[in-house]
Amino acid sequence: VPPQESVDPQKTAFLLRKAWTLYSVTPLYRFRRARLRDYARLLSAFIAAEKQKGLAVEVGVELDIKVALSSLADLRGSELDQAALLVQLCSRSQASSRSSEDKLVWSGWFCSMFGDDLSENLPEDFTSLPLFLSHGAESYTTLVGSWFQKTFDCCFRRLAISPQNLSWMVAMWAGCKLDRAASAVELVFSVPRLAQPLDISYAIHPEDAKALWDTVQKTPGEISQEEVDVFMDCLYAHFHRHFKIHLAAAKLVKVSTAVASAHCDGIVKILQSQYLPGVLMLLTELAISQIQ
Amino acid sequence: MDDTVAEYIRRTVLKIPRDEIKMMLQKWGFLSEAQLQTLNFHQMKDNISQEVVQLCEENSADIKQAAVLDIIYNHIYQNKRMWSVYQMKKSAEELEYFDIKDFKKKFKRRLRSALKNVTITFKEYEDNAIWIRVAWGTPYKKPNQYKPSYVVYHSQTPYVFVSASVLKSNMPLLCQALIVASNYHDIREMELRSHSLNSLKDIVFKRYSQNFQTCTTKPLQGGNVELENADIRIIQENRSEKERIHRLNEEVFGSGPQPKLEFAQYRLETMFKSDPKMDVLDKKEPFRCLVKFSSPHLLESLKSLAPAGMADAPLSPLLTCIPHKARNYFKIREKKGLFPGSFVSP
Repeated sequence: VPPQESVDPQKTAFLLRKAWTLYSVTPLYRFRRARLRDYARLLSAFIAAEKQKGLAVEVGVELDIKVALSSLADLRGSELDQAALLVQLCSRSQASSRSSEDKLVWSGWFCSMFGDDLSENLPEDFTSLPLFLSHGAESYTTLVGSWFQKTFDCCFRRLAISPQNLSWMVAMWAGCKLDRAASAVELVFSVPRLAQPLDISYAIHPEDAKALWDTVQKTPGEISQEEVDVFMDCLYAHFHRHFKIHLAAAKLVKVSTAVASAHCDGIVKILQSQYLPGVLMLLTELAISQIQ
Repeated sequence: MDDTVAEYIRRTVLKIPRDEIKMMLQKWGFLSEAQLQTLNFHQMKDNISQEVVQLCEENSADIKQAAVLDIIYNHIYQNKRMWSVYQMKKSAEELEYFDIKDFKKKFKRRLRSALKNVTITFKEYEDNAIWIRVAWGTPYKKPNQYKPSYVVYHSQTPYVFVSASVLKSNMPLLCQALIVASNYHDIREMELRSHSLNSLKDIVFKRYSQNFQTCTTKPLQGGNVELENADIRIIQENRSEKERIHRLNEEVFGSGPQPKLEFAQYRLETMFKSDPKMDVLDKKEPFRCLVKFSSPHLLESLKSLAPAGMADAPLSPLLTCIPHKARNYFKIREKKGLFPGSFVSP
């Protein structure tokens, strides 16, 4: 169950309500926390050089990209985790030289939330930050990713989220207690292989979804695969009773709750800061499974 | 010519795809054939529209004529708009002769008595459809020509199709004017919405192929049933199951093409029922859900679910009733009484 640690909401506000694209990252070789400024300069130079080579990043405007790297000490699960690493790309239009004109065009961050499974047995010189989240143009993600891959001999891979994992997420998040009026618990299914594709959105009143989950979950604080299956079977059965459609045979592509939403292409949006660590822990686990 | 009219004509022409401009201007008939000959339709649309405006200036176009061009555009591109359906009711079965002049007069009079600033335009089409365009203003502002409402009325029927502008507050007035003009006494909005105006007409005019009870005493042989990828491994058991599904599907959907709808929405307020063994939720309150189905062609999509193994055959009446109940928005509650497994839709 998501641990509700006190994370400074101010520092993590920028993470909320943004669609983050997920990647798994293999451990970084010879990454030094003390050298963040150097890395920022090197990455800036790399980006500028790639642009000179003619890699069109954005349409039209000539942008001068400034890179900032910082550590987010609070964003980690335990002392065994590495602190999160934030990369931000700001643009300063060459037309205006005022320094207050910096605009954030892309951000990405590396994170490990209770990622002991991976960091435990790592040889020295390796830093484990298995989860990477990006927001902004994919061309920038590619640039940043290739620099990290070259510099630290690591490997980025898009993190897809299977229907099974999406089910786990929706069951878990539907059960979260929330102070304010919550939005619906929504599951989106797709049936693509028909002559005319069909999308089905199944949204349940959050109180009713939570009431159902509360009767399914036997031990507070723990979730089992069996309980998730029962929860989903209940939803499928209710649907079948009305429409005679086997929803389990369709593809679950997206789940959405007041806590967070997740899409099978590996895109998440986190909406509540109190559940941020829990969501990140789940995502870290997925990233680690993909690496191993 | 008024500047606002010029600008409105310019913007309307700009909306039209370049290779259709000539055709639409001809349909409009406001510019003479000779004038149309002077236009160069191979240049940038910006320039074409400027030239059109100049010709309209020569002919002293006013907003009434410009509105007709707008109707023509929206008639051809009707599927870009979302249409709702309204049904009118007569108090008595009087046989009345429909007089289009009378209708127009009463409609305009009713609207204008409530709202001074309004632009009303009519255009009749061959299929007995009367298209009405209404641009709405306020007592102090001239009508907004860029957010008009469109109404399509088939005078031989009690149905009106409306694509309202964003200003929903004008609907009551519009409804009033319609019933007054057409000599009905009441009007209500149906729970039926789609981009495909023709499909809405198919549904309410019952122009689609309805399901007939086919009385087959023996299973269909060979050619009639399309078995996809006729797999030689499909033994007699599977084949007769496939045929059963196909037959049930035809019974329920009919064998002709389905009207084209893009979505259906169900607000469920039924009880959650589960296997008592599972020891889960057993509330006395409804399990509240909102289910939305969407597809480029919803009914064809639903029809293909059972053959694809995704659904039981016959499909639930909640889905198959869409065309003959003429609705795609539903609120479903539990039916109390003898058969607790069935549903009502108010």
